[in-house]
Order: sequence, then structure tokens, then C-alpha cells
Amino acid sequence: MNIDIKHIAKLSRLRIEEDKIKEFETQMQNIVNMVEKLPDIDEKMILDESNPMILRKDEAVTDKYSRQELMANAPQVKAGCLVVPKTVE
Amino acid sequence: MIKGYEVVIGLETHAELNTDSKIYCDCKNQFGLEVNSQVCPICMGMPGALPTLNENVVDYAIKMGHALNCNINRVCKQDRKNYFYPDLPKAYQISQAEVPLCENGYLDVMVDEEERRIGITRIHIEEDAGKLLHSDKFDGCSLVDLNRCGVPLIEIVSEPDMRSSAEAKAYLETLKSILQYLDICDCKMQEGSIRCDVNVSVHKPGEPMGTRSEMKNVNSFSAAVRGIDYEVNRQIEILENGGTIEQETRRWDDVKGVSVSMRSKEDAQDYRYFPEPDLLTIVVDQERVDKLKSEIPELPNAKILRYVKDWKLPQKEATFIAESVELAALFDSCLAKNKYPAKSYSVWILGDLVKYMNETGKKLSDTKINADNLTELVGLIESKTISNAGGKKIFAVILEEDKNVKKLVDDLGLAQVSDTAFLEKIADEVLAANEKSVADFKNGKTNALGFLVGQCMKASKGKANPGMMKEIISKKLDNI
Amino acid sequence: MLELFERNACELSDMLKNKEISSVELTQSVFSRIKAVDDKVNSYVTLNEEEALKEAQEIDRKRIKGEQLSDIAGIPIGIKDNISTKGLKTTCSSKMLNNYVPPFNATVINKLNDARAVITGKLNMDEFAMGSSTETSYFKPTCNPHALDRIPGGSSGGSAAAVAACEAVVSLGSDTGGSIRQPASYCGVVGLKPTYGAVSRFGLVAFASSLDQIGPIGKCVKDVAMVQSVINGHDKMDATSAYKDYSDLAANLTADVKGLKIGVPKEYFGEGIDNEVKTSVLNAVKELEKQGAVIKDISLPSTDYALSAYYIISSAEASSNLARFDGVRYGYRTENYDSLIDMYEKTRSEGFGDEVKRRIMLGTFVLSSGFYDAYYGKAKLLQKRISEEFNGAFSDIDVIAAPTVPTTAFKIGENINDPLKMYATDICTVTVNIAGLPAISVPCGTDSNKLPIGLQLIGNKFSEQKLLNTAYAYESISDGFIIPKL
Repeated sequence: MNIDIKHIAKLSRLRIEEDKIKEFETQMQNIVNMVEKLPDIDEKMILDESNPMILRKDEAVTDKYSRQELMANAPQVKAGCLVVPKTVE
Repeated sequence: MIKGYEVVIGLETHAELNTDSKIYCDCKNQFGLEVNSQVCPICMGMPGALPTLNENVVDYAIKMGHALNCNINRVCKQDRKNYFYPDLPKAYQISQAEVPLCENGYLDVMVDEEERRIGITRIHIEEDAGKLLHSDKFDGCSLVDLNRCGVPLIEIVSEPDMRSSAEAKAYLETLKSILQYLDICDCKMQEGSIRCDVNVSVHKPGEPMGTRSEMKNVNSFSAAVRGIDYEVNRQIEILENGGTIEQETRRWDDVKGVSVSMRSKEDAQDYRYFPEPDLLTIVVDQERVDKLKSEIPELPNAKILRYVKDWKLPQKEATFIAESVELAALFDSCLAKNKYPAKSYSVWILGDLVKYMNETGKKLSDTKINADNLTELVGLIESKTISNAGGKKIFAVILEEDKNVKKLVDDLGLAQVSDTAFLEKIADEVLAANEKSVADFKNGKTNALGFLVGQCMKASKGKANPGMMKEIISKKLDNI
Repeated sequence: MLELFERNACELSDMLKNKEISSVELTQSVFSRIKAVDDKVNSYVTLNEEEALKEAQEIDRKRIKGEQLSDIAGIPIGIKDNISTKGLKTTCSSKMLNNYVPPFNATVINKLNDARAVITGKLNMDEFAMGSSTETSYFKPTCNPHALDRIPGGSSGGSAAAVAACEAVVSLGSDTGGSIRQPASYCGVVGLKPTYGAVSRFGLVAFASSLDQIGPIGKCVKDVAMVQSVINGHDKMDATSAYKDYSDLAANLTADVKGLKIGVPKEYFGEGIDNEVKTSVLNAVKELEKQGAVIKDISLPSTDYALSAYYIISSAEASSNLARFDGVRYGYRTENYDSLIDMYEKTRSEGFGDEVKRRIMLGTFVLSSGFYDAYYGKAKLLQKRISEEFNGAFSDIDVIAAPTVPTTAFKIGENINDPLKMYATDICTVTVNIAGLPAISVPCGTDSNKLPIGLQLIGNKFSEQKLLNTAYAYESISDGFIIPKL
């Protein structure tokens, strides 16, 4: 199994420096080799009906937080909005 | 068939549900508020924040599933769809991949007086993303407003069962009216509460299906029609010139009336779906599923059939009324009185009422028309107490004012005169003053009769009972 | 005479109740200890001294007024730095969140505040809880208080080291694959990984959502029981939190193991387990047998595959959970960028350390198109099988006894460049997370280097009381926690 580190990095929005690609490749290859020792299991996953989720009542709560409070950690804010490099439309 | 090609269309329709709170947090689900004012750590994707599922989202989706004759998967789960974009705070959208809440349904729609059955592949629940704001003034930046993040959506995926843009439009309009009937979506197209992605392919009859393209950013039904027609022509043109169709995602630009390629199959996104570990299995009791089914009102497609079959309305008129929740409700309560023919109501609803609503942009609830005053008005006309023209005058008043119909007849002096002596007097005067027309009539120009009756009506200031007037004039002419 | 900071929470709780000491005195004592030794141990990332003293004063006032206060009111507690604290930096020991101040509290923090525990500060950890030694912290490695040249374990290394070094009376950690038990074992303290769903995860910065669980670390079993009783319970903010009645674990603590059936799974004593560890753990089991427990040899054959399944599932979830760190709403953003993608890639590459990148990449890989079934799908099936094996075992026994870690604490730097060797230290702990079970690590002697060894006790779901009782029984006949010389 060969792992396309560059492709995986791209999907992960990570950039791996050229001199580290080899190292990453070997390390991930080792992990994948370990994983490949897993036995085959001829079963299908079934949904766990025994532990159903409790759903939330549809009730809105307003004014829990101020915008300022929620945006206080943002690297760049303008006119009450978060700022990102121009996205291509 | 267009230019010898069979057209195949499938639609993925997103409808925003009109719940009180968002799908995974208790922020208000409301359009048009100040930027980033309806957000919290959960819908902003702050570290450590967790989703909880709004029960109404499940109920609304199940209702839609029932309305579209789907199987309801009362045991299902949610999955993460992973991709990076600034309007998606967690960098994944919580959606449903493997097991949707509803699947394998169908929707019957009327196209050109014929019923067409469109298959429904699935309906699943998911969260909406935020909005990006663009402007030249933003200095090479885009701004992010997260208010829409977590607004609940249902995605309704159709089978590729539509064969023309007209069918697609009928399908979308029927979907819209069902959403309105169920009262689960505001259906405000201008606010983006219904959006769709369109899959289109073409092939020669008898040949295998063509390669499809997916078109995004279709924000109105008329845009869907324009987009489909454009795409069909584009594909046919390529094929006719010996080219091949690429599997790709295109973006519809409704202003320019063209679609442009967004990405090809090669750089198709890898969404890495996997089960959402922050949420457990959704398990809905069969009882609840059944109860939701019992809450479904009579749907527009059923209404159309009833109007046509039981009340002898033409399909076009039946459709028009049935597709509007409020018009149909008015019409149905009028019919429930079982006093006058359906046609005597539909003529007002489809005529003066719809005209007024279109002109003023008002909803029925903004007017003062109801089943009671409309029935009274219809009754006065049926009994010939007032003329049709008089009825129109009253209608114009009761659209806007809460006035008693009978009193208006007096106030506006609209009662028809059926007093024979009075009518004969008018007839004599008119005949005397229009000798030439009388002579014309005698010489076989029968349309002179209409003119003479008209003159009588004029002389009576519109109060004469037109039927009786005509009778009297005819009799007098015969005797001359 | 012990210093205040050296005492157990349960003793201090009584002293506070009897007004022998004040909360302010106790808090000051702990901060003086921090100042004296944290230069060497490096447990803390952020101190909360001013707020802590304010809170202590408030508690003293309330106590004087005769208000009813909880057992842990006034007890200084350190918090792992991946648990959100409103207004107090929560860094996950990452450059990515170096300046992140949460606008909300984790549910466990609200519970601690309601119980009036005194939060001393935020504790160092492996970056985003990914690691087994606290060496992947962006800030600094934490040292083992029993041997400063050795690792304290991880990822809750700061939480275990702080308690061992008496820099906090108790602490909270989080355990995804052993991150509470393994450092507790290395540092000679008690650490409880509760049943999945027993403690709300709301506000815990997620590593692997289906495996993560917050739990307490203390110097003795009773301390751990006290804290666990405060933090457990259903939370409507966490859909995976269990709807259960929870009794007072500390009040119901008994050292009685008569007739208790303890299973000893052979797979946990095989190759790779250090002989001294094996001997200590088996001796501990014998001691429990002397107290009336019934010992049974059992087998959990899928244990060998647990580590692989764990790395697939945890990395897959991590790759998705950590995608939100994109420099838009909070956290680090790179200085120079020329497009959105450029900003994303630089921000994430500069903000995350290598171990985090490795796990994100692994997780992305196992979920990617064409590989899902062979990796993630298979791992989930193994998870099911491992759970079934435990279920089978618990139909016959009450508690499973095993080592917590195969060896004692290794030297700082020894394994950092060998991920597989590092991952292998989790071999005895990951099964518990995979199966969603509770487990506890209690000190059971030391090796020839005087390094602590841990006995791991694993129970069936929601059997925390039974586990704590067993651990308590063993503790009462063993040396328990030994204060390190610093």
C-alpha cells in the first residue's frame, strides 16, 4: 500500500515540507502496516436501536451571547463579520 | 424530445424548515437579522461545542416523507460531510449519507392535463451553511455571516424521472405547495428558503443515458427552467458537433443566462463521510410516525382531483386554487356551505381576488374577504338582486373594508330594478330615440339588439335587470 | 506533620468543614507549592491564582455564614487544558489555540463551580491530547515528579504530574485511549476513566468524540470518587451523555471485595509487558484474593487488534474534529497568505505540531474514497467485536484486572521519534475506550528504579462504584500514593 502523502495533505489542508514527506510517509506506512494486520470480519454494521438519542425541544433562546463576546477570538473582524481572503465566486 | 434527443432531469431540492430554533442548537431560526447576531458557540463551531438534534426537524421531515409517499426509516443516523469553506464553521456539514430519514417515495404532478409520477429517492435532514458577502469595497476580502449556519434543511432528491423543463417546473411547484400545506417551510424564494441543484443529461431515444452535469445555484423555479433549457441546448450542441459531455459541476448564472463549469469529475471533492460521533442513533417510535401521518392535511394534488371530479372545475383553475393554501382554504369553506355552484365562487377567487392580490402584493389574510361575505355576495348575484357589475363594486369595497354586503347594496344603490312598468318605460324611450337601430334589427341586423339593451342599461344607470331588459326589448321589437 | 498541599481531598474536605483550616489558607498553600516546584515539573500552562483566591474567600464567607457546601467546596483542582473555561485560556497545549479564551464553560466546569471547587489553573498535555508522554505539548514537556528526567505519561501528563507533585489536590484529565490512566500509573496516582456517557463532553475540545471521556485524578481512591460524583450526570447539551441516576460514589465507598469475581485476561500479560510490572500487578491480584475476591483466568482474544482499531477510529474522528481550526473564527492565523487555500494550509501547517498532523493525515487517509471500508469500516466492526467480548466476560465476572501500562515511565525523548513505540504504550488501555467501559488505575508498588506501577481495574458499563470499591479495597492494603521528593 502506497500512501499519496501530498494528496492526503491537500485533503487535510496541510502542507508537509519536502524534507519531511519521507518521514511522514514511513511513519504512516508503519501505522498502515499495523492496521493491515486486522482480520476480515464478515459482518455488517447495524444501527444501535437500544440506545436512542434524546431529542431537543424546539425552543429558541435569544441573547445568550453578545456578538462581541463570540468574535473576541477572531483574527480579523470587519463590520460584525469574520474576514477571509476573497473567495472565488 | 428536443431536436431528436430525450432529456433526463433529476432535482435535488433544499428546503429550509421553519422551526423556531436551529437544527443543532437553540439559536433562533430567523432570516434577515443583523449579521452574526443569531449565533452561539455551537453553530459557530467553537472548540468543544456539541450538537443536539431539534425534534421538530425530525417530525417535519417525516411529514414531508409521508406527503411524498416515502418509507420512513424510523431508525437512522447522521453523518459528517467534510470539506473546508469559510461558510462552514466546523469544516463539516452534519447531514445523512447512508440511511436517510425517508426514502423510496413518489410525487404525482399534473403536466398539460396529464398526471406524471416522479420518483423520490430520498429525503434527509442536514444543516445549512453561513453566507459569504462580497464587495469590491472589501479590499480583496470576503466577509462571513454565520446567522444561517445550522438552519435546518431537508434535501429532497428525485429520481431522474423528468423529461422537460416544464415537468421540472411542475414538480417544483407541487413540492412548494406541499411544503406550504404542511407549514414546514416559508417558501420565500427571494430569501433562499427553497434552492435546488439540477442534474441534466440528454440521449438519443433507444440509446443509453448520457453523461450528466450537475448545476448549482439555481435559486428560483423560473431559473430552473432557464437553466435546464440552456443546459439541454448546450449538451445537444456539443453532441451534434461530435463532442462528448463531461461529468462536471456547473454553476448557473441567472443574470447572464449561462452556466459555467465549477469543477470537473477529476477534482471532485472527497467528502470523507463517516457517522457523526457526537450524535446517537435517531429512533422514532412507530406510533409517532403514524401520528405524524394522521396530521397530514389534504394535499394540493388531491385537492385538484377533487375540484375537477366533484366540482367540475377545469384543471387549470383547480390547480391554481389548490396550489395556494389560503385560496384553497377559502374555496373549501365556501364549498362547505353547499349553497351555490363552485364556479360562482371560483370566478371571484381567480378573477378579482387574485388580481387584487397580485396588484397589491397582499396575502388573502390581509384582505377582508372570507367565505361568509363572499357567499353573501354570490347569493345576491345568483338571486339577481344585483348585477355582476354591481357585484364587482361591492367586491372592491369588501376587499379592504369590513362592511356588511347587504348594506352596501343600499349604500351604493346597486339593487337591480325588476319592476316591469319601469323597465317598459325605459324601453319605450330608448326605442323611440333609436329608430335607425330598430330599422337595422328589422332588416336582419340582430346585433342591433345588444346595442339597444346596452342603451337601456345606460339609461337605467346600470340598475336595470339585464335579463329582463333584454326580454322586454325583444318582445317590443317583435311587435313593431 | 503534612503540609496542607500534601493532604488528600477527603481529609481537607473534613478540615474545611470543621473550620480547622480556611479555603484561602489551603489555596495559598497549593500556590506556594506550585511556585516552589513547577519550574521543575512544568505541570501548568496557565495559572488562575487571583480568581482562585477570590473564590476561596467567597467560600470561606459562605462557610462562616453556615451555608450548605458540597464535599469538594474549597478543594483546589487543576484542569487539563482541553476543557473549556470561560474567560481562562484553553490552549490544548497547541500553538493553534495559544491565545484562545473560550466564551463558555464546559459542563464539568459549571458543575465544579456550582460545587465551589477552586480552580488552580490549566494543566499541560500532549497537543490536542495526541500523545502518550506530554512531549507533544507546544509549550514544554512536563516531567515525572518521581524522576524528573522521565515523562509523566500522557496525554493528561500535566494533570497526573500536578497531583503527584502536590501542585493541585485533585485534577481533571481526559481519556481517549488511556490518557488519564496511563499518566496516573506513571505518576503513582489514582485516575478514573468513567463509562462513556457518564460525564458530559460539552466543552471538552474533541479529539475522538466517540472515545473521549473526562475523568478525575487524585492521590487516593476516595478523592477520585468525590470528584467523579460532582462531574457525572446527564447533560442535555451532550447528546451522547447517558440518562441515568448516579449515586454518591464517595459516600458509598466500601473496601469489601468478598465474593467479588476478578478476571485476569491472559492477553494483558503477554509479550511486551515488563516483568516487574507483570509481577506487581499479579501480586496485587493475589492480595485482593486474600481479601476474599475470587480470581478467574479469562481471555479477550481481540485485544491484539484493539490498538489498530483505536488508531483508525480516533484518527478518523480527529481529522474531522480538528478541521475547524482554520484561522477564521478563533486561534492562530498565519501572517502572510495570498488566497483562501494558502491561508488554510499555512495556518494549519504552522499551528499544528507533527504528531497532530500525522493523526489528521492518517484519519483523512482512512476515510478517503476507496479506503473507507478497508480501514474505518473494518475498525468499527472490530470495535463491535471487542465490546461483545467484554460483554461476554462480564456475564461471568465483576471486574477485570490488568496492568495499566506495559512498562514504567520512560526517559524524555526516548520514544518521541518512533510513533509506533509510543503508540504501543497504550496497548493495555485503548480497549476500554473502544468498548466505552469505565476503568481505574491505582498505584501498585514501584519497580527497581522506584518508578510507580499501576494496577488497572476495568468494569462493565456504569459499574464505577464497584470499580472504586475494588480499588479502595486494594488501596487500603497497599502503600498507595507516595509523595515524591522534589
